[in-house]
Amino acid sequence: MTVLERFDRATIQTSLRSTEFTLAVLAAVGFTVLASTTHGNLLTADTLKALFQFLAVPMVIGLAQMVVLGVGQMNLSVGVLTGFCSVITAYLMVQSGWPAWLAVLAALVVGLGVGTVNGLLVVLTRINGFIVTLATMTIISGLRYGVHGTATFQNYSPQLVRLGQGSVLGVPAIFIGAVIVAGLLAVFFRRMSAGRRLLASGGNPLAARLSGISNDRSIVIAHALSGLLAGVAGVFIVASSGSVNASIGDDLLLPSFAAPIIGGVALAGGVVSVLGTCLAAFLIRLVDVAQAQYGINPRWVDLIVGAVVLGAVLISQLRSRVSGGSP
Amino acid sequence: MVTDVMEPQTEVRPTVATLPFWANPRLGLLVVIAVLVVVFSSLRSSFLNVDLTIVPMQADLSVFVVVGLAQLAVLSLGHMNMAVGRMAAISGFATGYAYDKWSAPLVVGLLVGLAVGALVGALAGWIIAATGVNSFVVTLAMDFGLLGLVSLLYSRFSDGVAFHVRPAGMDALRFDTFSDYCSGNVCGPQVPLVVPIALVAAVVVGLLFRRFRVGREILMTGSNLRAAALSGIPTGRRIVQAHALSGLLAGLAGFLLAANNGAFSANIGDQFLIPSFLGPVLGGTLLAGGAVSVIGTILGATLTEVIQTGLNLLQFQVQDLNVFIGLILLAALSLDRVRHVLAERRGARI
Repeated sequence: MTVLERFDRATIQTSLRSTEFTLAVLAAVGFTVLASTTHGNLLTADTLKALFQFLAVPMVIGLAQMVVLGVGQMNLSVGVLTGFCSVITAYLMVQSGWPAWLAVLAALVVGLGVGTVNGLLVVLTRINGFIVTLATMTIISGLRYGVHGTATFQNYSPQLVRLGQGSVLGVPAIFIGAVIVAGLLAVFFRRMSAGRRLLASGGNPLAARLSGISNDRSIVIAHALSGLLAGVAGVFIVASSGSVNASIGDDLLLPSFAAPIIGGVALAGGVVSVLGTCLAAFLIRLVDVAQAQYGINPRWVDLIVGAVVLGAVLISQLRSRVSGGSP
Repeated sequence: MVTDVMEPQTEVRPTVATLPFWANPRLGLLVVIAVLVVVFSSLRSSFLNVDLTIVPMQADLSVFVVVGLAQLAVLSLGHMNMAVGRMAAISGFATGYAYDKWSAPLVVGLLVGLAVGALVGALAGWIIAATGVNSFVVTLAMDFGLLGLVSLLYSRFSDGVAFHVRPAGMDALRFDTFSDYCSGNVCGPQVPLVVPIALVAAVVVGLLFRRFRVGREILMTGSNLRAAALSGIPTGRRIVQAHALSGLLAGLAGFLLAANNGAFSANIGDQFLIPSFLGPVLGGTLLAGGAVSVIGTILGATLTEVIQTGLNLLQFQVQDLNVFIGLILLAALSLDRVRHVLAERRGARI
């Protein structure tokens, strides 16, 4: 897209690890400061539960974007696809009377399917992924309203909602779900050959092709996985909120980029950081909580997140310039 | 008007000439627009109603042509401006502030807004040029920042939502067409007063990239940064200038939208991001940089506007519109691809 200088792979790994470390320190410091300045209010069970309850969706959305960034692509449809999947789940349960587990499964299949279509379109037409997903985003944002207009679905499967709003040993169930998803994804990228191939394609397509890796397949897999994760996020929303309508997902696109970018994922592809993305999502969530705790105008949140994104990128750029000599 | 600096000057004409005429995306767009106009007007005669359809369509189109040009200004570099909507919003705030607090005349407020837009754009360009960070990330972060800043500014300095003060001439921009201005018995055409503003912007941008040294050097920077730098082009300055131009045009688009709506509000620019890409991309401008098409952008924006208006008249819901626009974008781009492949098979060099 632009002229992004290629870094030495080892340098990237080191800088990534230090990014994760910095984020972990920042998260700990932020949490401590917030807890002490609100006179322990943050540490009450309800506040803590809310903190993690609403962390699950941004985390999974960030991971959905991270997967495609790993092959050097972007998925603009991730936000509206999440909304689409959640509306479909609710529709199947309320209108078609499907049992909850089947509706959830259907939503995941829809997510996976749309993601695969994205990937196939990119590979078959050779159009830039940004533009393809821009088009599918426009289409899905329309389809979202096609399911049930602007009406709200509620009173669906009490078991699902109880699960989504419930908690295990004080930890919200959907946050546990998000952590499991993140763990599986980490294993996929670290241990499984499909994941390694995906990163190889993203890091250097030519070298990957010469080593017998199909870049096309990597792109399709990445988009399919991204769609599946958007489906998971959609299911989380259905389970945790108790009512859904077609406007869900409108405000998820930009945050989906914020988490991986702050987390040290390179837009050029080849590098992903599950831990960094999750920590970044946590940091953004802390800003949200701080706003609620101090009663600040919510608009400051956007301003701060913007500054943090820019700051994170500038710092990592600076660090690689200092440590790597020639960037 | 495709301006491509990749090819040596002497070779530009022959290669273009050897491409079969149907491989020109602009021509395809023109045909599609013509077909759609015929279809829509035969289905709904009100499509050709001047007061109800044609005049509002021109006013909307002026906004989206300028929005498309704002994106095109940085696509020339191979960059993106994800903050195009919010740059329009902050520039609109500055204009509204000037009208409200300083009782500035119409043109002065516009100039203040354009200056703010250009400054914000230049800031984005400067960060990109100075740090080498991807333009997508920088403008995305700016979008977040400006989103917060604009609402804070509106809640601090206006009644919380919008500036409603309208200087002399604003209402004329909103409601009048040239047919309201007559000399003797000769009246102007049914064209809203905002249209020439957009046309001037298009002509200036077109000339800039085709005739002027700065524009050519921006394209050169976009097609190959290193080669441009080695040829003595101040690439950093060109990047800042292209982004400043993008911010300025975004500001102009915000002004035109405010003129159409009658108020400067915080949600100006909310709907700019997708249309800003639709126009240039449908018109054949590449994301890779180095080549732009101003006429293509106008045609691309026209196509989207015709589809929107037509489907509206056929009483499609807003959400159905989105589905069709997305499908048409995909179809248009795939056809473009097919056309290129076919043209390549015929032996023409692209």
